[in-house]
Amino acid sequence: MMTTRIRHSLTVRITHWIIALSGILLLFSGFGQLPLYKRYYVIKIPGLAWSSNYEITLVIHYLAAAIFTAAVCFHLVYHYRRREFGILPKRGDIGDSIKGFKAMFGLGDELHHEKFQAKQRIIYTIIGVTSLLLIVTGLIKSYKNLGAIVLDPMLLQWMAFIHTITGGIFMMLFLAHVAALLLKNHRPMIPSMITGKIDREYAEKHHPGW
Amino acid sequence: MTISRRTFLKGAGAAGLVTLAPAVRSEARIGPDSFATLIDLSKCDGCDGRDTPLCVSACRTGKKDIFPQVDKDQLRDYWPQKKYEDWSDKKHLIDRFTPYNWIFVQQVEVEGEKISIPRRCMHCDNPPCVKLCPFGVKHKTAEGPVYIDHSLCFGGAKCRTVCPWQVPQRQAGVGIYTLWQKYLPVAGGGVMYKCDLCRDLLAEGKTPHCMVSCPKKAMTIGRREEIFKKAEGLKEAQQGYLYGMDENGGTSTIYFSPISFDKINIALTASHDQKKTGRPVPLHTPENLLEKQSLWTQLSLIAPIIGVVAAVGLTRSETVKKEKT
Repeated sequence: MMTTRIRHSLTVRITHWIIALSGILLLFSGFGQLPLYKRYYVIKIPGLAWSSNYEITLVIHYLAAAIFTAAVCFHLVYHYRRREFGILPKRGDIGDSIKGFKAMFGLGDELHHEKFQAKQRIIYTIIGVTSLLLIVTGLIKSYKNLGAIVLDPMLLQWMAFIHTITGGIFMMLFLAHVAALLLKNHRPMIPSMITGKIDREYAEKHHPGW
Repeated sequence: MTISRRTFLKGAGAAGLVTLAPAVRSEARIGPDSFATLIDLSKCDGCDGRDTPLCVSACRTGKKDIFPQVDKDQLRDYWPQKKYEDWSDKKHLIDRFTPYNWIFVQQVEVEGEKISIPRRCMHCDNPPCVKLCPFGVKHKTAEGPVYIDHSLCFGGAKCRTVCPWQVPQRQAGVGIYTLWQKYLPVAGGGVMYKCDLCRDLLAEGKTPHCMVSCPKKAMTIGRREEIFKKAEGLKEAQQGYLYGMDENGGTSTIYFSPISFDKINIALTASHDQKKTGRPVPLHTPENLLEKQSLWTQLSLIAPIIGVVAAVGLTRSETVKKEKT
């Protein structure tokens, strides 16, 4: 019988899935804020005729943004108060990540890892900074929509530009995250984000320092 | 540079503070001394007897250097669509908004009287066209005008969709998207154009072209408070009607008419020929799209607080549980 060990608590799993699902909604409704869905015939897909209606996609975007922002803030404060910093990058992580990526594709051996691998810590930081940029710019964009509020046009131009470009980066990171999990040697990690448990043998091999 | 945990957390904390900053930063609302205009329909006769109303011809002459200069080689379909919007062969049109015609005069008969209505951008107080531009290249200034940065706009035309009067108009084959459309024809469709209230002239203390040229002095510009007072005065003195005070959440363009705008709008809708002049430019009473959704906006703004409170609450209850065991 396969023995397992706990990798993610229920709170971590719920937070992860809330961020993931609201993130998907944000990506769909966010791309809907660009005039894309009519031009690219998304509106012709059965059930998606509404997708080019900015009024609808904007409400979805606000709602998903509220959930996403609350979950990200929860995540930061929750782990800070519990003094759980194992996923934050450490000195030498960039070099180790390159070796880790090579190992992913069979070029070289996996390094001696703790609960999180160096490349996981780096990716977490990149996704985290991207999310925070989206949240900060998004909040400023929301604020100016409240009424006849006139902020400096150049500030708004930069906020809109950074938000849109960072949204594109977020989508690529999301796709890379999903693609990486589909790689054969990463697949055993998938159950850990559902049941919280990971195969003990896999953990001992890939995270011996945990 | 190595990011230590402490530095990272400091950075995260600073980012968190920035997210809350807009709520406490003082906002610059539309000031009482910003510009507003009054269009008196009891004076405008559409320049009866002339081929082109003088406000229209003055705008076209005064703004001709800003109008799009199209390189025909750059006119390409909006892939995968089989169309593009080109007005360069229709510069002569003066009865609708086009990239070459930023003001036009509607004429309609109501209760046996001919009404002439000069139409241009309303320069809204909370303009959805500005606030929803994905690249922020449409601007609303505290002085009043709403204008487009033509050098950065790449013509998605979302501003036209969200404008209750469909004022901005697109010209294909010009603008920044021409740099990449040959290699990557996936984004952009030209540049949007509309009235900018001659903000360059206003900055020099001068009056917009359309207003200077009006022989009936039907259009006046001034400080918002003073124009609004004047409009209210006209309404009271002539038992007339105002349009633009509340429409789309308030605008900087106020129309005065001795006949109700509801009646004018019904007549406009009945006489509108979509084939000839495109989508109608009504005198309806649109609600501001952004203000309609303000509850959702507020929810997104308080989300950081919800997250922080939840985290503090849960960690506290976890500590209490641990202590009990």
